[in-house]
Amino acid sequence: MKIRNLLAAASVASLLLGAFAQAQTVGPSGESATPSSGVTVGDDKIAALKAGGYKAALLWHDQSDFVNAVTAGAAAEFQRLGIEIVATTSAGFDAAKQRSDIETALAKMPNIVLSLPLDAVASAVAFKEAKDNGVKLVFLSNLPKDYKHPADYAAIVTDDLFQMGKQAADALADAMGGKGTVGWVFHDASYYVTNQRDNAFKTTIENDYPNIKIVAEQGISDPARAEEIANAMLLKNPDLGGIYVTWAGPAEGVLAALRANGNKTTKIVTLDLSEPIALDMVKGGNVAAIVADEAFELGRAMAAAGARALIGEDTPAFVVAPAVTVKASNVEEGWQLSLRKDAPKSVKAAK
Amino acid sequence: MTKLTSPNQWLDPKRYVVYLGFVLIFAFFAITLADDGFLTTRNLSNIVLQTAPATIMAVGFVFVLSAGEIDLSFGSITAVSALSAAVIMQEHSMLAGIAAGLGAGLAIGWFNGVMVAYLRLPSFLVTLATLGLFAGIARSMTNLRSIPVVNDTFTGIFGSGSLFGIPSLILWTLGAVIVGHVIYRESRFGAHVLATGDNANAAQVAGIKVPRIRLAVLMASGFCAGLAGLLYAGRIQAAKYTLGESDLMIVIAAVIVGGTALNGGKGSVVGALVGSLMMGMLNNGLILMGLPVSDQMIVRGLIILIAVAISLRDNTR
Repeated sequence: MKIRNLLAAASVASLLLGAFAQAQTVGPSGESATPSSGVTVGDDKIAALKAGGYKAALLWHDQSDFVNAVTAGAAAEFQRLGIEIVATTSAGFDAAKQRSDIETALAKMPNIVLSLPLDAVASAVAFKEAKDNGVKLVFLSNLPKDYKHPADYAAIVTDDLFQMGKQAADALADAMGGKGTVGWVFHDASYYVTNQRDNAFKTTIENDYPNIKIVAEQGISDPARAEEIANAMLLKNPDLGGIYVTWAGPAEGVLAALRANGNKTTKIVTLDLSEPIALDMVKGGNVAAIVADEAFELGRAMAAAGARALIGEDTPAFVVAPAVTVKASNVEEGWQLSLRKDAPKSVKAAK
Repeated sequence: MTKLTSPNQWLDPKRYVVYLGFVLIFAFFAITLADDGFLTTRNLSNIVLQTAPATIMAVGFVFVLSAGEIDLSFGSITAVSALSAAVIMQEHSMLAGIAAGLGAGLAIGWFNGVMVAYLRLPSFLVTLATLGLFAGIARSMTNLRSIPVVNDTFTGIFGSGSLFGIPSLILWTLGAVIVGHVIYRESRFGAHVLATGDNANAAQVAGIKVPRIRLAVLMASGFCAGLAGLLYAGRIQAAKYTLGESDLMIVIAAVIVGGTALNGGKGSVVGALVGSLMMGMLNNGLILMGLPVSDQMIVRGLIILIAVAISLRDNTR
């Protein structure tokens, strides 16, 4: 009985702690976060949704492993709910093309649109017609300017950005034994997703790890320049214990710089899965950990939010999907959890 | 007035590839997507509206290619022009914004032209360099921020407005194509452009001021890219450094498929219009078919490859 009480108390505490942690990722307009696990469509609603003959369009910003996993998550949920995906597009980060994609997809009269608005200003105009036609809009990470919930959109779904940055800090601190010096390579652009993750890393190191000092800070806007930036950072701080890199693309450049310098001691943590980075990690190289989002779950939650809006159920304004810390020991599980794919062969073979 | 087309050229089937391709692709989508909204007036007008900036860039590009030069920088010019107009309009009048946008396009075109015509540098290398140079300037102009365009008159004229029920973007497209076609086919300047592209030395001997022609075509390309920038800014009611970045391949493909020779001396403004519409129709139809994005890219690439191969096939080689 005592054990059961203890377990109950522990689960309440973990829920509260979880809620506290979740609360630190806030939406683009300051909305508080709801965990994605709370956004579901019950089996009792499936018949009504199937009878509606509803259609969905996925109007993405770009193509990547991440987008593929979000698409897979959304497609699985839509299939469960009997909602047909009638168009899938990629704007290649071009706001004008995204506007065209929206217009084109509207010819197929979708009831739900899932999309990452590329630009708050331009997207406000681009999505207006869809909004005016009563299409349920579910946004990934960004919000068009002056859009209000629930009148204009069903939900924003994103990663638990604060947790991603925090978990990266915890993993790096763990790899460094809780002491030493760190370089912070952040995304030098006004971009909500990366800014939140980068700042969460910095805040966690500063608040939770008194024996770790951030001694070098360098912004990056072009991933191709990461190697030069890392070289300059290492020249000034040859004894860096660890480097945080804002995402995996530039982390590959930082890793190249460390290898070129014959440096086997400086640890790297970065965000988002990447084969070369994971390969170095499982081979015991510089990479200590990768923090990834649960992209499949994110797509599922987007689809569920759109379906809930369609049948008149409440949807939270801002939803977050959990983060997962991937280390050499759990690389295969991490890949499955994040992308619902097997880890690359090279990574599995190197374990 | 010099005309560089012989009667035999009019019988050349390669001249009509773009029109045949357009009709075939249209017929294919009309049949397969009949129930998916492809033939709705709204969708067909969307195709023309969406391709308006690329078509106008293509008009300028026809002149550049026909003169035996190339301009790879027009995408960057589009972004700089759109941003210039948007930034100026935040503090000043709409006319000042338009002048800034078009002026930026003309000025960059002039810069390219001087390098090519008077410093005798290859246009490929000059515009490859200015592509990067002005892409960087576009990024730094507003520190990667997008600038809203809130002037309703501007967005009406250059984006969402209409005259006698015809959307302004269609009017701009028609205007640019008609003016471009008349200059290209009916004016002394057009003939000189073709003569320069056909054989620059012969043109020089015949008294054509070849450097001036080269300067003029690159300025025309800059001007068209500047106008395309204004249309983008009007259409999405914002200006951003990414505008025009993805248009380079589309415009080159549209112009080549439209019957303009890569090495100069031959071309068609109307062909470029049809080529541009064909590219827009392909994008539109492949999305409506519900294909995954990668498959859309593969099919589009294959169709463009076939069209370009037929357009460029040279029987004398």
